[in-house]
Amino acid sequence: MEKRRLSKILAKADAAQVRQMAEKIRKQYEVTVIKAPEKSLTMIKMRDPVKETLFFLGEVIVCEAIVCLDGIKGMAVIMGDDFEKVLDMAIIDAACNKGVFTDEGLLVELEKAQQTRVEKENAMFMQTMVNFTTMTPEA
Amino acid sequence: MAYVAVSGGEEAIAASIALLDFYRSKTEKDVELEVIQEKMSLLVDRVMSEAGLYAKEYAALALKQCEGSVEEAVFLLRAYRSTLKRSYDTYVADTKNMRIVRRISAAFKDIQGGQILGATYDYTHRLMHFDLKNEDAAKLHERMEEMVEGQEPVPMEPCGRVSDELKTEGLIERFPINEEPPYDVTENLLEFPASRSARLQTLTRADAGFISGLAYSVLRGFGQVHPTVGELRTGYVELEIPYLQQEGETLWIGEVMLTEVEVFNEAEDKDALKLACGYGAVFGRNENKAIAMAVIDRELDAGGDYPTQDEEFVLMHGDSLEMNGFISHLKLPHYVTFQSKLDAVRKTRRENNHD
Repeated sequence: MEKRRLSKILAKADAAQVRQMAEKIRKQYEVTVIKAPEKSLTMIKMRDPVKETLFFLGEVIVCEAIVCLDGIKGMAVIMGDDFEKVLDMAIIDAACNKGVFTDEGLLVELEKAQQTRVEKENAMFMQTMVNFTTMTPEA
Repeated sequence: MAYVAVSGGEEAIAASIALLDFYRSKTEKDVELEVIQEKMSLLVDRVMSEAGLYAKEYAALALKQCEGSVEEAVFLLRAYRSTLKRSYDTYVADTKNMRIVRRISAAFKDIQGGQILGATYDYTHRLMHFDLKNEDAAKLHERMEEMVEGQEPVPMEPCGRVSDELKTEGLIERFPINEEPPYDVTENLLEFPASRSARLQTLTRADAGFISGLAYSVLRGFGQVHPTVGELRTGYVELEIPYLQQEGETLWIGEVMLTEVEVFNEAEDKDALKLACGYGAVFGRNENKAIAMAVIDRELDAGGDYPTQDEEFVLMHGDSLEMNGFISHLKLPHYVTFQSKLDAVRKTRRENNHD
């Protein structure tokens, strides 16, 4: 699974769900924390569509962790300050890198549920689509 | 002006700081951060925008700590932010793929992808809802959850910009992609003339009241008068950074809600027969600020004699922390400087009496 997809599913998942998957890995492999979870900032870069220049919109707080699973590294960075979750995510990432992650099916299920939720919310917003009618003929 | 330090007052100052809790102690009920974050979200959005830091829970905590003062909350967030190192810049956040919750145009009634009103106060009657005094929050939550769950899923579709169509028709100038690294006003002093990136970053962090007032002055005649909102879109934008363990891979770190606006003005060059644009983008559902930013952006491009067209005037006076800090300092002891002013007045009066 691509890292973008993996990290998106895990970042959107409940911390308890991520914990469950990471616990299974912890029981089977030796985990060494290389970089303990810590907070830092990430600057958001944007492109202005008028002049096509890059600019900085502002920062977000992120937390990051790096672990080693039997010699193979894994890392995670997420918005916010949930240290336990980011550490669990790094462990799952390391397991994926080592090729020993076995809960891919669960990830796909989570992704499907997350997508459905977003699409249901989208349905509510789409119900506010408006079709204005002008009262006088347009020139 | 010379500054002279004063000393003493430590005990009174400590007591004064402790007394702040008195104002937060008038009820036995606590206000939970989740409540501030979710039920005062427009206030939280404003604080995050002016702090230049998207951190909902921390913004809620700052508001709790300072009794809901926007400028104090901004100060707290800025101060906290300064204690953290910056680890990453995101890849360019793509607002074309924004998960849209609101999208309107005042320029065209029919736009590709449609106009989505989303949740807006624009069409509400401004009547007090006294039933909210005893609202059953759990029931409200449950009702909305049921409403979401009862929906038939509708896949998201990216919406092209209104301005893209006008660019295709040649009615708006198309600029080449500029990859120049952005200027960062959090790490460098603003210099004039300011780069476009410095301008946009300064405006997006500006005090909402300040730039709304400036934009209002434009509409009242102290500027180009009446721009048209070509597009206003609010939604979630995904943030990605490089995955350092493997080249070519990216990490999805979260999403932020923001509001983006493009306004259209008449062309500067009448012969060119093209529209001119202004741009605004701010954290959260903060649309009047985004519109004001776009109006001011266009005014600064146009240049001229009005205050909104003066880059230094606009960019140097809208930062919440700086403006409130400077105004606030007027309350601090100025005993020596004021004594010298008083002496000068007394001296003049004495001299006049002698005359």
